[in-house]
Amino acid sequence: MIAETRRILLEAVVIVLLGVVLGLSFNGRLLLNVFSGRLPQTQVETEPRALYPVPVDLAAVRELTAAGAVLIDARAAELYADGHLPGARSLPLGEMDEHLEAFRRAVPTDAVIITYCNGYGCPDSFDQGVRLLAAGWRDVRVFEGGYPEWRDAGLPVEQGAP
Amino acid sequence: MSRFTRIAYHLSRLVLGGLFLYAGLVKAGDVTAFARDVANYKILPYSWNYLVAATLPYIEFLAGLLLVANRRVRPAALVTGGLTAVFMLILATVVARGLDIDCGCFRPGGHTTATQALWRDAGILLLCIATYRLRDRSAP
Repeated sequence: MIAETRRILLEAVVIVLLGVVLGLSFNGRLLLNVFSGRLPQTQVETEPRALYPVPVDLAAVRELTAAGAVLIDARAAELYADGHLPGARSLPLGEMDEHLEAFRRAVPTDAVIITYCNGYGCPDSFDQGVRLLAAGWRDVRVFEGGYPEWRDAGLPVEQGAP
Repeated sequence: MSRFTRIAYHLSRLVLGGLFLYAGLVKAGDVTAFARDVANYKILPYSWNYLVAATLPYIEFLAGLLLVANRRVRPAALVTGGLTAVFMLILATVVARGLDIDCGCFRPGGHTTATQALWRDAGILLLCIATYRLRDRSAP
């Protein structure tokens, strides 16, 4: 039994070693280039661009905004005027096309962006996140609890037109 | 071996072998794309991702080939099981770290989330165990 197990283990190791030898012989040139510092050109961009924004909770929103993340209110301008998260910029989802260029000039594509709307039943912040990612911003998060969760937590809100 | 066990054994062996043959072949066909997928896990130093990308597909291919050919089935099932177990550990760290990446499991560039890949790998691990255990030890 032990001899049998040992044989199986040994043969498994041989399979792995054979695979490594095969891989090295087929890709030797590529690896030589890589390890001598000549990475293939196609590998300059290491991460594929994200398609969907990452959800964040209330605590993360507070941390990220304190660290300089850009808050975006995806709701209509009237709702924004009634009350919004401190420092949030108004970018209503329905008016994104007309405001996107101004937004692009104001917010660099490597900024951390957090978008929110009217809580969990509201898909606008997620849709906005998808559009911002597609438009070139790389780190977009969604605060799904949105304005209601922030307000109900007793945190300060701001009022006023965009 | 009963008839049912024999059918179950051959079925799990062929499915497992076919999966690894396919996975190995497509990844070996585009090593740089696979290296990018490995790099996304942010586990290895950058150049080492290429070393993994250059060798891992051949190990998968060899193990898959042996399983399909019904030769050295237990060692091959052990290799596939080991790879799958290690990979599940890595995927668990991906979920824990909150990374949103393609697992790079089969077709490079195809999008499978880490959680989906974990479930799929749990199934593959079961296949590895079934193949290993159902193998008649008297067979070659």
